[in-house]
Parts: sequence; C-alpha cells; structure tokens
Amino acid sequence: MGAKKNDILQGTLALLILKSLDSGKRMHGYAITAHIQRVSAQLLRVEEGSLYPALHRMEQDGWIRAEWGKTEKNREARFYSLTAQGRKQLAQEEESWRRLTEGVARVIRYA
Amino acid sequence: MAWYHRFWNAIRPARLNRDLQRELAFHLRERIDELEETGLDPAEAARLAQLQFGSFTLQKERTRDMDINLYLETALRNLKYSARSLAKTPGFTATVVLTLALGIGANSAVFSAIYAILLRPLPFPNGDRLVKLGQLQTKAQQPQIAPVRLEDWNRLNGTLEGITGYYTEDTSETTGDLPEKIKRAWVAPRFLQVMGISPAIGRDFSPAEEHFGGPNAILISDRLWRRRFAARPSAIGKTLRLPRTAFTVIGVMPASFRFPDGDVDVWAVSAPDASYAQSRQLTWFSGIGRLKPAVTLSEARANLAAVQASLGKQFPKPDAEIAVAVDPLKETTVHGVRKSLWILFGAVSLLLLIACTNIVALLLSRAAARRQETSVRFSLGASRASVAAQMFTEVLVLALLGGTFGLGIAATASRVFRVLAKDLPRIEEVGLNWTILFYSLVTAVAVTLICGVLPAIRGTRRDLAASLSHGSRTQVAGHNRVQFTLVGVQVALAVTLLACAGLLLRSFQELGRVSPGFDPQHILTFSVSSSWGETADYKGAKQRVSRILDGLRSLPGVETAAVAFSLPGVPGQYQIELKTTEGRAETEPKIIAQARAVTPEYFAALRIPLVAGEMCRDEQVKTTAMVNRTFANTYFNGVDVIGRHLGQPDNLYAATAEVRGIVGDARETGLDRVPPPTLYWCSGALQPGAFFLVRTHGEPDAIASAVRRKLRELEPQRSVYGLTPLTSHISDGYAENRLRTVLLTFFAITAIALACVGLYGTLSYLVHVRQREIALRLALGAMRAQVIRLFLNQGLMVSALGCIAGLVLTAFFTRLLSGMLYGVSSTDAATLGGVAILVIVVSATASLLPSIRAARVEPMQSLREE
Repeated sequence: MGAKKNDILQGTLALLILKSLDSGKRMHGYAITAHIQRVSAQLLRVEEGSLYPALHRMEQDGWIRAEWGKTEKNREARFYSLTAQGRKQLAQEEESWRRLTEGVARVIRYA
Repeated sequence: MAWYHRFWNAIRPARLNRDLQRELAFHLRERIDELEETGLDPAEAARLAQLQFGSFTLQKERTRDMDINLYLETALRNLKYSARSLAKTPGFTATVVLTLALGIGANSAVFSAIYAILLRPLPFPNGDRLVKLGQLQTKAQQPQIAPVRLEDWNRLNGTLEGITGYYTEDTSETTGDLPEKIKRAWVAPRFLQVMGISPAIGRDFSPAEEHFGGPNAILISDRLWRRRFAARPSAIGKTLRLPRTAFTVIGVMPASFRFPDGDVDVWAVSAPDASYAQSRQLTWFSGIGRLKPAVTLSEARANLAAVQASLGKQFPKPDAEIAVAVDPLKETTVHGVRKSLWILFGAVSLLLLIACTNIVALLLSRAAARRQETSVRFSLGASRASVAAQMFTEVLVLALLGGTFGLGIAATASRVFRVLAKDLPRIEEVGLNWTILFYSLVTAVAVTLICGVLPAIRGTRRDLAASLSHGSRTQVAGHNRVQFTLVGVQVALAVTLLACAGLLLRSFQELGRVSPGFDPQHILTFSVSSSWGETADYKGAKQRVSRILDGLRSLPGVETAAVAFSLPGVPGQYQIELKTTEGRAETEPKIIAQARAVTPEYFAALRIPLVAGEMCRDEQVKTTAMVNRTFANTYFNGVDVIGRHLGQPDNLYAATAEVRGIVGDARETGLDRVPPPTLYWCSGALQPGAFFLVRTHGEPDAIASAVRRKLRELEPQRSVYGLTPLTSHISDGYAENRLRTVLLTFFAITAIALACVGLYGTLSYLVHVRQREIALRLALGAMRAQVIRLFLNQGLMVSALGCIAGLVLTAFFTRLLSGMLYGVSSTDAATLGGVAILVIVVSATASLLPSIRAARVEPMQSLREE
C-alpha cells in the first residue's frame, strides 16, 4: 500500500480535527472534512474511513462532545464541539507538531 | 467515563447502531449534494459518492469499534450463543447442572462449617488475641486456677491486657411458682473487658461489685431476658432470686454472646478477695487472657512462665510445682473437631472432582457430536482461540448455573448440618454469608477451568476440519481412551471414598457390638440444681443427696438409684495420681488412674459385678473406695489391693480412702476405649451437675414425671433438669463420630452413583457412535450375545482397573483415619473386598443397559441410515 500524497500522516488527524473545532463553532463530520480541505487549499483530504473512527474515539476520550442538531438544509446531523479537555489536548498536540516539523526541517536542511 | 459508555454500548447496542447509521448516511447525503452541484446527474453522483465512501458496513463497524468494549461484546455474544445451544440440549444441560449443583453445594456446605468453626476468629473483638490459661501440675490434671494465683498473674505479667476466669454451675431461679433451672457462670473481675464485649443494655460490673461483700449484681442472657422479662428494658434493676442470694440485674448481654457456652443464663462475680478464696491450693477458675497487640503466643508463654517462677520462690508450696499453660482460645475450643471437618472437606472435594471428571466426559462427547459445526466455523475463518472461548463460555454458564443451585443446596445442607452436628463447638455460627457465596463462585470458576481445558483442547483441533469431508462416516471415535480413563478415575475416587466410609461404618458397628462391662439400658439420668457454695456444708449436702436417693427408691418402677459425678460410657477423663499410705518402692510404677466419685449403689444400678472383696457402703467415719480389676492387676497383685489406703496428699478435696473390693472392668471413659485403671470413691458426688442414675423396670422415660413430682415434694426450691436415658447420653457422646460416618457414607454413595452415571453415559455414547459398526457385525453374522459381551467387558475392564487404583489410593487415605477407627484395621480385607465387589456389581449393572441396547441394533435400518 503506497502512501498517496494527500494522505494524512498517522496521528495528525486528531490535531486537524481539534484545530478545526477550535474556532468554537459546532461542526458535523462532513463540515470538518470540507473545512480541512478548504483551509489546506486542497492539499489535505480526510478519508471517511479514518474520520469517523477518529471522531468517535476522541468523543469517548472526552476531547470533543457530540449532539444532534439541524443543518441549514434542515437535515439531522451530529455536531461536534471542543471540550475543555480537548482544548488542553490541542495545545499539547500543536506543541509536539511544531517540534516534529522543526526537527524534520533541520534534518532536511543540515543532514 | 469512556469505559462506562463502551460498557453500556456493548450491552445495549441498538441505539449506537441507529446513531451511526444516521450519522454516516448524512455524510453520504451531503457528498451526493456536493457532487450534484458540480453538475452530475443524481444517479451518477450517488454512484461516485458511494465509491468514494467505500463499504458503508465496514465504515460503520470500524467506527462502532471505537464506541464499544470489544471483549465484553465478544463475551456477550458467546454467552448468548451458549444459552441458545444449551437450551437446545436440555437433557445434557440438566445433567451437568444437577451434577455440579450437588458437587458445589456439598462442597460449599462443608466449607461453610470449616469457615465458621475453624477459620473465622472467635466472635469477640480481636478474638484471635484471646488465650486460654491453665495451671499445669505434675501431680494432678486440674487446669483450674486458684483465684489468688489468677490475680497474681494478672498483676505481674507484662504481655496480657488482662486475665480473668470463670466457672459454671446449674442453679435454680425461684422468683416464680416453680424453681427454674438456670446456668450461672461465676466470673473473675475484668470478665467483660477481657472478652471485649459490652452489655446490649445496662452496664458492666462496677469495681465495688467485683469485691467481696459488694452489691450482688448480675448480668443476664438475651434468652433469659426474653423469657423472664419479655424483653422489656425495665428488666434492669429488677431482682433475680437465686438460692441464698438475691441479685440485681444490671445488664443484658447481646444474643450473640455465648461464653463460656450457649446455655449460660446469668453471669455473676466470684470475688477473688473472698476469705474462702485465699488458699493457693483451692482451684476453680478456668483462665482467659487477652494478649496485648503485637504480642506473640510464645512471648506470653515465656512471660507467664517467668511470673510463675517468681511466685514459686515466694510460695514454694505449691507454686514451685505449677506451670502455666497458654493456648489460643479458639484452638482449645475447636481442636477436637478439626480433623473430622478436614476429612469431610477432603471427601466433598473428591466428590466435586468426580463430578468434574464426569462433566469432562460429557463435554467431550458433546464436542465430538459437534465436530461438524466446529469444522464449519474453522473454515469460515474462526480462530482456535475464539472457538475455545466459545466452549469455555458454555462451561462457565453451566458452572455458574450449577453454583447457583449449589448455593441453594448448601443453604439447606448447612441447616441439616446444624441439626446433625448440634454438639459441635461454634455450630450456631455456621451459615451462609458473603464469604461462602464468594467461595462458591470461585469454586464454579475453578470447575470451569478444570472441566473446560480438555474439551477445549481436544474439541478445537485443526485436523477436525477434515471431518467436514468425512461427514459422519467415522466408525470409532478416537478419544475413547481419554473417556475411559476419566471413568476409571471416577471409579477409583469413588472406591476410595467408599472404602473410608466402609471402615468408619464398620468401626461404628463394632462400637455397638462391644460389651461395655456395664448395662446402660433402663437407666434414667438427671441432675438437681445446686451450687459449689453448698459443697462447703459437706454433711448437709450429703444428707440432702441420700434423702433424694431414698425418695427415688421408694417410687414404683424404680429398682435402685445412685449418684455419680460423670456418666459411664460418655467420653471423658479425670486422671489423678495416687499414693498409698502403706508405702511403695520407688521402683514400682506411679499409680495413675481414672477417678470416679459415686455412691455405693452405682455398681448395682449399672450391673458392674463385684469380683473380690466386699461392696463398699456409705460409712460415716471412713472414706471407702473400690477399684476395678485392671487397677488391681496393674498396680497390685490382684487382691493385694484390698484394705490398702489410697489418697492424693496434695489434693485438699480428696480424703484418703480404704479400698474395700474389686469390681469388674467397665468401659466408662468411652465405649471405644479399653477400661483404664479406675478408682471409685464411694462417698458420693455432691458437686453441682452430678448425675442421678435411676435403674427402672420399664422404659426410663416413663417414670420421668414421677421423678419430677417426687423431687418437687422433697426439694421444692431446686430445679430438676436433663431427664434423659443414659443410652441417649452415650450416643450423643458419639455424635461427632456419627456425623462423620453418616456424611462420609452419604458422600461415598453419591460418588459411586456419579461414577456409574459416568460409566453409563460413556458406554451409551460409544454404542451410539459405533452403531453402524455393530450393524455391520450383526449383518455379517455376529451373535447378539457377543455384542453384549463386547461392551460389558469394556465397562467391567474400566471399573476393575479403577477399583485397583482406588484401593491403592485408599492405602494412602486411610492413614488420615487412624485414631478414628475402632475394632477394624485400616486394611480390613472384608471391608475393602466388599467395596470392590459392590463397585464391580454396580458398574456391571450400569454397563449392562447400554450393552443390551447395542445388541438391539437393527442392522438393516442402521445401515440404511447412511
């Protein structure tokens, strides 16, 4: 299984989801996918096969909370929002991501 | 709280499934909308969205796995499946559950007795720190302690929080119309502090009440409180009239407080500073002490030994010769039944093992019958572990069901046990509680592991997959050997139990056949209340007893009457060392004998014959004695003993007595014991609790009311109690023995029944599996008798081998029974042979039915079934 270019690195999906919800707006799964795609200028694409298991795992871990609501088109959807614990988690994940990218960047530059 | 949600989602998955369905469907819908907006027609948009999304079911399941406890889910699925498949085979399920219920139930019942009697601390706060104290004297076996010495020990030791003591007597309470018998415990100071118990209502004795001449205060039992005062709190301060003294009730003890024993109705102080309690030689207290926290038994022993050594210097006579015995109170209480209980526990554990073996055999047959199903599961990709887990779940369900019913059986059994074993110490504490529940659960799990392993290993072998192609063509199942081994083990264990039970039964029988040297038939026994204090007036007490005896003899239907301190034939010892005033060479052995205090009519009442000399009479001046034949022959050259004077120079209670004659040997210390050298003091027994023995012409019970009326006339202030034929006293004395025998026999019969079920089941299964082979044989001309012989031989072979193994096992197990057998050796050929024959006959019967069924096979019909 060769990795496709826009596949999301294992473990960063949580960071992306948390960051997407950081604005404070409730979002359903589809909106999260769309949001990530749009903000990343189509560079990143979230697979449904990873998104929902990740959302549900994060919900069980207490980082995000879910509730049923209506979309603009008046459809029933499950909306996710960040919890206090999730905010803390986001800070941690951002920090470790920065360290990772900085490290990788240095290696690429000087090695 | 993730685990909590995951747990509930596993148990109630419906809602989760619905939500997932909605959430994912919404996603798909949005995607389709988006694609439509780009200009695709709806059908194409739906196709593309579906393609992008991938398998809807797979996505749903992957997401779902995040929300659910997977182990629990698998376990629940296995459970559901097990319940369904067990319900489909009710015969099998019922057999296994019933077998297990019996096994686990019997085991839990005996364990509940072991737990209550042997394992649990005594029902006092920190009961494991309570010790029994006694004074050991080289000259006499009297563990009772002199009150002054008890106080010395209490004052001088550094390892005990406190020392107290007690003794009991039966007395009468005379407030009502008729005197009522009550049992009084006289206690030393500090009694309740040492026991660590407070009265349920009222208060403990005050310091003033613990001194001689202080107010007469009394604590009453919960029983007496309910009986006499109708459980009214106003009982405190009321007066209880006991002979010579009136006591003020100061408190009611909790119902659970049963010390020194469950019969005690009142507790009163026996003050150690009384003038009559100052002698260092007069002993009456049984000592109880409470160890300080973290003090060990050996430290306390060393400490008290040092205390006694210093007392020995201060009071050389008699303290120098006295040693202190310190033993855990629990140990001294339950010591006698420990071995019996563990033997019973061993027996029920063997029984449970037999039940397990039986179930393993049944499960193996079941696994074999389900080979095809297992093969299908394998070929659909199930792992061996998951198939085994499924099998274990099934066994667990069976074991838990069995355990639940077993607890019901245990509840009934422990009630029966309490009745059967009413004389066992602490028996009132036996019952079901959380510990027993937990124990049953653990047993059920252990059973699951024991029973599940073999079928799980054998039933999930990969090569079984081959049987999918074979269909049911296999002629002879390959695992017959395992099943027959299991049956053999069952037979062996059953033989062991039967042999042990047989030996105990034979002992019991021998005990009944023994000629005791006295005639216990037609003797009515009873006691008349009196107190230790009254024994001070020796003459008065003696007159009272002879007046009662005369009164009894005047009753119609009474042949004669006597008094004795202890009952003949009921196990008990009162050993003393005697000196003769005529002198005795140092080289001659010490005279150690059992002492019995009796009135002269005792021998006539019990039909113990005079052998030499003359019968003693009640003489005012002299104390006279009789000895038995063994005494005369062991210590003197037979008749030489007549006319000798025997006494205990160190014992103030016993006067030197002149031996008047020799009587025949009688098994008075217990029917199973050879008569020891015995000395009878003929001056009567004036102690409280002494027994009146009345020889009657008819049934002893018939004159009980006449005896009561006579005593009411002679002694209106005293109560008469314990009117019981001597024979029932003797059989009560062997209650523990009988309990052991009855229960072991019951377990052994259950064991052999289970083994037979196992044999029958295995052979039946075999006949079933080999039906086609038999049909073929018959079609080819085999005789039906040959077929019967084939299977019968197999059954007999297994049980014969099991028998031999069982007899070898018995050789090990009967060693545990040593000391419990009487008149029969542990290798008694008749018993062991009888057991072997019984087992062979029974197993032949169990084998016969399936064998005959095999011979009834209709060849054509069977072969056509292919």
